[in-house]
Amino acid sequence: MIEIILLISAILFIFALKLFGRPSTAHRANSFAMLAMALAVFSAFNFDFSKYDSAFYITIVVSGLLGVLISKRVQMTQMPELVGLFNGFGGGASGAIAYVELSNTSLPISDVFVAIFSMVIGIFTFSGSLIAVLKLRGKLNNFSTKLGNIFSVFLPTILIIPAVLEMDTFLNEFIILVALIAGVIRVAVIGGADMPVVIAFLNSLSGIAAMSAGFIVNSIILIVAGALVGASGIILTLLMCAAMNRTLLDVLKGGFGTTNINNEYTKDPISTSPEDVAIELSYAESVVIVPGYGMAVAQAQAAVKELTNTLKDKNIEVKFAIHPVAGRMPGHMNVLLAEVDIDYEDMFTLEDINSEFSSTDVVLVLGANDVVNPLARTDEESPIYGMPILDVDLAKQVVVLKRSMSPGYAGIANPLFINDNAKMLFADAKEGLENIIKSFELV
Amino acid sequence: MEATFLLTLLITFLASFIGYELISKIPQTLHTPLMSGSNAISGITLIAAILIYPEVGDSQILQIIVLIAIAFATLNIVGGFSVTGRILGMFKKND
Repeated sequence: MIEIILLISAILFIFALKLFGRPSTAHRANSFAMLAMALAVFSAFNFDFSKYDSAFYITIVVSGLLGVLISKRVQMTQMPELVGLFNGFGGGASGAIAYVELSNTSLPISDVFVAIFSMVIGIFTFSGSLIAVLKLRGKLNNFSTKLGNIFSVFLPTILIIPAVLEMDTFLNEFIILVALIAGVIRVAVIGGADMPVVIAFLNSLSGIAAMSAGFIVNSIILIVAGALVGASGIILTLLMCAAMNRTLLDVLKGGFGTTNINNEYTKDPISTSPEDVAIELSYAESVVIVPGYGMAVAQAQAAVKELTNTLKDKNIEVKFAIHPVAGRMPGHMNVLLAEVDIDYEDMFTLEDINSEFSSTDVVLVLGANDVVNPLARTDEESPIYGMPILDVDLAKQVVVLKRSMSPGYAGIANPLFINDNAKMLFADAKEGLENIIKSFELV
Repeated sequence: MEATFLLTLLITFLASFIGYELISKIPQTLHTPLMSGSNAISGITLIAAILIYPEVGDSQILQIIVLIAIAFATLNIVGGFSVTGRILGMFKKND
């Protein structure tokens, strides 16, 4: 009976992933996954609910309610932090379980190795995720990469200590401590804009930790579900890395954008006003909006929607060009736009829209920088050389809405800003958009 | 024993392969809900906690550690699915 429930659960998990493939069926995917999870958890009790005391049930109910509460309250712009936090919880849980199993002296030797693996990965995911959350909230500045490098040498050294001391008590606790510190330092040296990769990577690790916990307790469903999560995280990690033309190793090394490169501009940019932008937009037939992290920071989604409506009312075609690493997690911009009811049919990926820029009248860049930097195509010396970018500089007119000329994450100047076809509107994304919308009423 | 272990390895490989194939087809628009959804699934480690909880014996410390794991995993599952549902609801109304 239990086996049949578990079989159904595993099949439902796989179907859920299949349904996730299209926006129109994705909400059903979530229901399938929830049902699969409920069946899997139910089967773990093996119809014997009396084995568990009240502390057990209270913990489940209270933390479940807390989970609902958090998820209802969180704002869409905080989604990367929330996913990061939950990653950490998942990893921490697997790590804790592995620790308890290791304390069980009757564990066969093969399981001991799996348990140590699960514990290290889980605890690393836990501390790394918490640091990632702090980074996303802007509470933690970049540690120097030097610290990371010192640690890379220090870590193997410290691991010899227990062997030398012939330590046999507190060995597991020692391993936990090392994994905790490793998670903190590894993530701390990586910059905020690389967090999409880090979050996806930690997501994968939380799946791998769960999968290996499945090996210890002999639960096939745990192995299957953990493997699915591990695979999903790895795919997203590799996609993000490819979108920056960097390797995972390079991202994890940290310190990106801290090298001092000549980022002076050879001439002053052309500054424009909200009124001029409104006039320019109203004469356009096609407009492409490129959202970046600046849109999320300024909470400008509602203003974007209003501008889109204004333009569409004038029969102007509006499209959104979304770079894979725009924002702080995979698909971040899409979610923010969906939040304000922008049709996902209007959101385009880099591959789909790049050929259209040369026939676009106006491109509006909203708080994005490195993902539209043409140096990625031309300057072999540039740290972003080879990164696929949105070719907005090919459009007839580019308006960049940005607070200042300050460089983006890569720490380099963006020659797009001083291009002949580009104008700068210096403002906060939300304020700037609202002023453009106001000016429309006067046009 | 040997045969079961090999079978488990085979299942692991197949699950990873199916996951990789299916997830590769998911469009960029859905990457955030995919992440929060798969994130919720990683809380399935709750099963391991449920399985070992009755077996920890008298050690109070170990019992508390398992309870912490249960709290973390439950939060991960419930919060993760709930927030994924919220995100997907925003895509649904666009239909």
